[in-house]
Amino acid sequence: MTQFLAQYSIQRWMEMCPQGYLEDTVYGHEPNEHEPAVILDDDDEREAAIRTTVGLVVGERCALAASSGLINAAPDYPSKRFLATQTLDEARHVEVFTQRLFDLGVTADNLESTIDRYANPNLVKFAEVLLEKVAAGDFLAGVVGQNIVLEGLAFSVFEMLEAGNREFNPKFAHTLSGTIADERRHVGFGENRIGSLIAQHPEKKAEIERMQQEMTYYMLAVFADSFRGDDNKPKSAPEPTASAEWHGTNLSTASPEEMEAVLANTVLGEFKTRLARVGIEYQTPRVPA
Amino acid sequence: MTDIDVSAPGIGADPSRRRYELEETGFKEVPKKWRKFYRHWGGPLDTLAPNEVICPVCKVVIRATRELRPGDKVYCMPCMSRMVVVVAESGRLEAEVIF
Repeated sequence: MTQFLAQYSIQRWMEMCPQGYLEDTVYGHEPNEHEPAVILDDDDEREAAIRTTVGLVVGERCALAASSGLINAAPDYPSKRFLATQTLDEARHVEVFTQRLFDLGVTADNLESTIDRYANPNLVKFAEVLLEKVAAGDFLAGVVGQNIVLEGLAFSVFEMLEAGNREFNPKFAHTLSGTIADERRHVGFGENRIGSLIAQHPEKKAEIERMQQEMTYYMLAVFADSFRGDDNKPKSAPEPTASAEWHGTNLSTASPEEMEAVLANTVLGEFKTRLARVGIEYQTPRVPA
Repeated sequence: MTDIDVSAPGIGADPSRRRYELEETGFKEVPKKWRKFYRHWGGPLDTLAPNEVICPVCKVVIRATRELRPGDKVYCMPCMSRMVVVVAESGRLEAEVIF
């Protein structure tokens, strides 16, 4: 365990992240990249992009609060050190997605009202379940909720968004690819750290499984809300491209129902296998209304 | 560098194993020295070579300079997980995380 934790050094984080894949980027993308005119010049497309980006900001604000809150709850200094790097990663994610809102025409003065207007209530509930554990100083439940459930969700959503935007919107795709690289470290820490801790604290399993069940309920409700509302559907779609293929679905031609299905199946499938690896049994949530 | 920093992997110079010359494939998520040992996974239709295995934690393809065999230890630098290569029920080689 000590050997595993020794890898999560700030030196390694600097070599991989700011001196590695983020070098020469501006807010996570290449300096000469911009949002495409098809989004900026169409009110419906721009609103859909704002709505999607608000979801990312809300999720990342939750991750920032959780990772920073878990530093003081961590039982050892290597974990605190890793969570300090994760805190900076999450703060960067909040910043780059907030910057995208500005690039889409949201002003600083109406940032918070825009987030309030478009934030999905089920995503807010999802965050509250996690932050309750963090506020209670529950390191084990907090890391499962943050680095396995939330990061697992973010990982799949970001991968789908990145694949769908690779040719249509390279600026956004590049911003997402940097966050995906960060998420790899976060899920790695979650699984490796929790895998050993669950074995030491089997009495915590039932409580953690209840938290997972509740978070999964709200996660599925977010997917249902995002894909079923007519006002969420872009009025036009980019031309089909081979690079928009993700888990057997062409994202540039898929219907909202097909996208919802592929994402829910991917995330739930990942949950089950991730949780099983660390010794937690997946609990099926109630079906969202 | 520690021993677990050795990217896929310390398989050694077993002459019975097919050897692979690795080149960078555009994977930039690790320091340059180690980039050739990893590539992005193309999804379920992506066919793996005998020297490749998927990291089950972060879904990156780990590449070795020799063909992989059950029992080999591999390391995923992007998510910092250590794994052992096993034969799955499907007969394919898979990686199992060592906690």
